Amino acid sequence: MTEPTKIDVKRRILESNELAAAKLRQGFSATGTLVVNLISSPGSGKTTLLESTIGRLSGLKVAVLEGDIATERDADRIRKLGVPARQILTGGSCHLDARQIQREIVEEGFANADILFIENVGNLICPTAYDLGEDFKIALLSVSEGDDKPFKYPGIFSKAAVTIITKIDLLDYVDFDLEAVEDQIRSLNQRSVILKTSARAGTHLDEWCAFLRSTLEKKRGGAGPLP
Amino acid sequence: MHETSIAASILETAQGLIREQGEGRLESVKVAVGELSAVEPDLLVFAWEALISGTSTPDAALEIEWSPAQTYCPTCNRNLDRARGSWLRLCSKCGDPVVTKGGDELDIVQISFIQEDSNQP
Repeated sequence: MTEPTKIDVKRRILESNELAAAKLRQGFSATGTLVVNLISSPGSGKTTLLESTIGRLSGLKVAVLEGDIATERDADRIRKLGVPARQILTGGSCHLDARQIQREIVEEGFANADILFIENVGNLICPTAYDLGEDFKIALLSVSEGDDKPFKYPGIFSKAAVTIITKIDLLDYVDFDLEAVEDQIRSLNQRSVILKTSARAGTHLDEWCAFLRSTLEKKRGGAGPLP
Repeated sequence: MHETSIAASILETAQGLIREQGEGRLESVKVAVGELSAVEPDLLVFAWEALISGTSTPDAALEIEWSPAQTYCPTCNRNLDRARGSWLRLCSKCGDPVVTKGGDELDIVQISFIQEDSNQP
């Protein structure tokens, strides 16, 4: 009986995804496209935030990729606003990967957009592991989800450069300690940018859009890390 | 539950590594899984077993090395002890905010295979 051969290696398990992501990032760098990867639980208001964001980004070419298990609903909502949107149906898979993004951006209006929003499948866990070639990840947390989530899901809140606390118009109706949540997020990620919005009431949306515009300019000016 | 895609990536990579060496039958793969990698070791083993049972090497094992994240104080330049799953915010010694280090490993660290080379003695 032959003895087994053992080889020590150091190979990223998701290397093929990471190579595809690096290629995407190179392309987005050449076109000066700002790419953000939106990650949250289902129902925290990703699509609603995008709907209220798009109208405030006049003068910019915006495109949206929507990841979902089933239905074209989210892409339909975005297309109604006159913006190119593609639905990526994962058919049961809980996250988007870089190769899916590569397939979609060949469509007109995506690869050369000023800002490309990628709305991941609603899930705080799995999408964290997959680089999509984005400039940074944004985590969304709605106040109705509870104020213990950053410590319960440290992966995403450590990796996201920006956290948006959504539905703050509901703060009077739920027990949500905003300060405690901000402390949790900062303890996981010192440099995290924290925004608090209500898409329904229009709260702080101008601030959010100003942040996007200045980050886009920063990317095009090659000025240091984003955001 | 993206452990099925992770298991498929491990198998694909391991088979590729064996091909670089010639012919061989996969015996086992050792992987490092970090606490912040968003991968659950038990589910990964479950997904691996489901996947490998349909291949020509149904007994190939998956071994997992668990890598916890560290809590680090930049002021004291030291790692802090913490209970598994807990996240300290402030250094117990100096009171400054701490940062997390590591825990994002998702690496293949070793493969073991039986060479099927006819030149072997």
